[in-house]
Amino acid sequence: MSPTASKSDTPLQVIDNATCTFCGCVCDDIQLHHDEMRIHKAKKACVLGSAWFLNHTAEKKYPSALIDGKEATVDEAIEEAARLLHEADMPLVYGMSNTTCEAQKECAALADSLGGLLDSHTSL
Amino acid sequence: MGGKVTCTLGEVKQRADFIIYWGGNPAECHPRHFSKYTLMQKSKFLPKGRKDRTMVLVDIRETKSVKASDIFLQVRPGKDFELITILRALVKEQQVTDEQIEETGLSREALNDLVSRMKAAKFGCMFFGMGLSMTRGKHMNSAALLTLAAEMNAFTKFVAMPMRGHGNVTGADVIMRWQTGFPFGISFNRGYPRYNPGEFSTIDVLVRGDCDAAFIIGADPGGTMPQPAINHLKRIPTIVLDPHITHTSKLARVHITTAAQGIAAPGTAYRMDEIPMPLKPALKSPYPSDEEVVRRINEAIAKKPFWLPEGSMPQMVTEQV
Amino acid sequence: MLRITGGKVYDPANKIDGQIKDLNIDADGKFSDGQCDSRTIDATGMIVMPGGVDVHTHVAGGAINFARAMTPEDHRRTQAFIRTKTRRSGLGGMAPTTFATGYLYAGMGWTTVNEAAVPVLSARHTHEELADIPIVDKSTLTLMANNEIMLDQMEAGEYERARDVVAWYIWAAKSYGVKAVNPGGVAAWKWGGDARNLSSPIEGYNKLTPGTIVTQLARICDDLGLPHPMHLHCNDLGAPGNIKTTLDTLKHLEGSRAHIAHSQYHAYGGDGWETICSATAELAEYFNSHPNITTDAGAVIFGDTVTITADGPWQHLLYKLTGRKWGNLDVENETGCGIVPYTYRPSNLVNAVQWACGLELLLLIQSPWQVFLSTDHPNGGCFWRYPEIIKLLMSRDFRDECIKKLPSNIKNKIVLPEIAREYTLMDVATSMSAGPARALGLKQKGNLGTGCDGDVVIYDQEDDPGEMFAHPRYVIKAGEVIIDDGEIREAPDGREYIAKPFYDPATNDFMRPLFEDCYTMQFENYPVEIERVHGASIHDCKNDQDS
Repeated sequence: MSPTASKSDTPLQVIDNATCTFCGCVCDDIQLHHDEMRIHKAKKACVLGSAWFLNHTAEKKYPSALIDGKEATVDEAIEEAARLLHEADMPLVYGMSNTTCEAQKECAALADSLGGLLDSHTSL
Repeated sequence: MGGKVTCTLGEVKQRADFIIYWGGNPAECHPRHFSKYTLMQKSKFLPKGRKDRTMVLVDIRETKSVKASDIFLQVRPGKDFELITILRALVKEQQVTDEQIEETGLSREALNDLVSRMKAAKFGCMFFGMGLSMTRGKHMNSAALLTLAAEMNAFTKFVAMPMRGHGNVTGADVIMRWQTGFPFGISFNRGYPRYNPGEFSTIDVLVRGDCDAAFIIGADPGGTMPQPAINHLKRIPTIVLDPHITHTSKLARVHITTAAQGIAAPGTAYRMDEIPMPLKPALKSPYPSDEEVVRRINEAIAKKPFWLPEGSMPQMVTEQV
Repeated sequence: MLRITGGKVYDPANKIDGQIKDLNIDADGKFSDGQCDSRTIDATGMIVMPGGVDVHTHVAGGAINFARAMTPEDHRRTQAFIRTKTRRSGLGGMAPTTFATGYLYAGMGWTTVNEAAVPVLSARHTHEELADIPIVDKSTLTLMANNEIMLDQMEAGEYERARDVVAWYIWAAKSYGVKAVNPGGVAAWKWGGDARNLSSPIEGYNKLTPGTIVTQLARICDDLGLPHPMHLHCNDLGAPGNIKTTLDTLKHLEGSRAHIAHSQYHAYGGDGWETICSATAELAEYFNSHPNITTDAGAVIFGDTVTITADGPWQHLLYKLTGRKWGNLDVENETGCGIVPYTYRPSNLVNAVQWACGLELLLLIQSPWQVFLSTDHPNGGCFWRYPEIIKLLMSRDFRDECIKKLPSNIKNKIVLPEIAREYTLMDVATSMSAGPARALGLKQKGNLGTGCDGDVVIYDQEDDPGEMFAHPRYVIKAGEVIIDDGEIREAPDGREYIAKPFYDPATNDFMRPLFEDCYTMQFENYPVEIERVHGASIHDCKNDQDS
């Protein structure tokens, strides 16, 4: 996706010293130019970082949640997820690469409370 | 030997006059590694920057990173462990036969030259990538390289660091260690953490069909794992949290769209050298953050009966050996 | 909120030595004069003390977390805390997990801990871990004595600048004070070197010596009005004959307050591993005549542990001596860190001398207000083994029994067999609580007086002090019953104490270019945001000076 200049009159907002989480370098010197809907420019970011920042938007591209392939509310999906996990004897919590430490802590708490398994990309 | 002799990236920036990349292709996978941390920076100890540093690349094929190197050593595929072992011997001036060296695809002259440069360095650093840690020998290769780095300290300052990859996988490692004692491959089946990679690691668990539900976050195993593992994910209730509808979402019972970390969700991510970095999201997502969703799932589960009835187990157990 | 009646109270801060006294804790969790009519604990026949305060421990952050990664075999054999509906699971052992750390400290009656070594660069990590240590209140010390930006100011003779830099870092780290580790030695280690005497210039510097760093950094801590003085890990740790370096260091501290960490590791005579012997008598004499200096024992207990310290060069030596696993983590501009698993054996002469030295210091330094119970967890042994040390201090018979298990050629190397002193309960209460609380400047801790924090430990009186101190009958934190007869009742979050020293606002502009030269993180992103410190309680140093 190529950065398109904002058509609106309002100038782009700038965020200094933003952090890129695409690779393990975790560069924190990125300057992001955005119009609240999308990021138009990620100064100092590398090719991978630029693509990462420019490909995510604040648009609602996907449904909030799906249950068995059908659209559902987040509240319904959370209840269903909790039910399925609680019913399981040996649930697995896996992944945690593309997420924040704060979410990772909640994931560890989830596996702990379920008596399940907890694993990350590292095990691959 | 075990352990790890390492440093933060700023030490490399300030001091490393000799850098080896082994089994990694930073030019394409960590594009700013050279410019921000290792090769291009000037410092009070290395005022001429790139000119004050030597970079050696060890890999099985010519990648785009070769252009940035001073010396490229093309090791025969699958022979990394042998090469590292030979280097450990040469460093200690132990005998190595011609046949042993030949097996690695490199010459004695090239290896002697490498060893003398390593010893002459004031501060040496070895970065190793998945070309070392995910090929024949796997963690044995990483352990051998870490040992070489430790042993080099008998001669000069030397450190090593894995080129940790995708996203915030380092953060997951760090947090699991402080909460459970172990970095990954953990089971809470007994009510407390146990660790056994191979038994509790995801691919093994899925291929054996051990788990009866899966909660997938910040990963897309449906697109990357072996087919038998994917088949099991299809069989059991799978729940996915992701900013996109992924391969895994399509085979899941529940998908919840979440805000992308660092773009629309705040928080923290760890750098490959285990330094935590604050995130500064630019956009307001129409979706909740992973943190919020998992917390709410935890709250919903907390309202249900606990799987281990209170009082049925002691508070503590001691497994004496 | 809670009333404790009929107990024999040992409250050194208020000179209460075993008198029967009732205690009242109000709804804010503090001791009050008024009677509350809620829950009453009948402590008749029991011993009541202020909750323990650990002045020097390593429980959170990059170093201990590195140690956890290096010791999976220990996690498997150790004590496990089983998950309950409301409480997280955990593992004890040499490097306990965060949740278990809180359970284990509280389980033996300790309610406040000071994490003694935090690099600023990874301080965010340390605070996050501390937030996951339940029950106890916490503080942290920032590693400063090898910070190159500060050293450069000292080399240039810019004392005020150096002071502002230190204050800037303390606030950036949201820490409580300053830790100095092997001044200059860790900086030299960045090139593989060390700094083992106080008067030679440090590698990479023309004039600056470890002695200058010691003197100036102690003065800086005093000038900034920090609640805790400079917390010093002296040069030449662990080496035979290092008593000379230690005494020389103490002379460099004349006129300043200071806390000497784990002095056991700095009290050796002899000139090699064959001739190493105790020099605790000399060191204790210095403390006995200098009441402004405090210390903690850093006592050694026999058994397995994992050593972790910012003293990188020492750990390289220990790895060479033992051939065991070695972890090393140098932190840009600031400090280093080394990790080596270790087993202290009674049959090993050096270990036996170390074991004796820790106890000797605790017994030879006359005032328990000056020498505190510590093992430099996990270096000399794990914190959950403190009750064994208390038993050794309280019983000469038990000491004699243990000395019999040491090598026979230890006789002339230690003085422990000749020491008759036995700790009283008042001595124990001072060394484990009131003393370290006072040294840390935590006025509300280690004190059962009105307005102080309602942190109390209550023991059933038993003949075996080891048993008694290992298994308190009740542990109360801020008025809440946490431990009741060996069961964990509650695991509330603790507080974190941080200090806010004053610095010239221009320090930011001064720091920026220096920072950008040696760090790899953005200057703006470096300081820990105050919101990240859970339960922060700020000590404003400037106000303290004004008043």
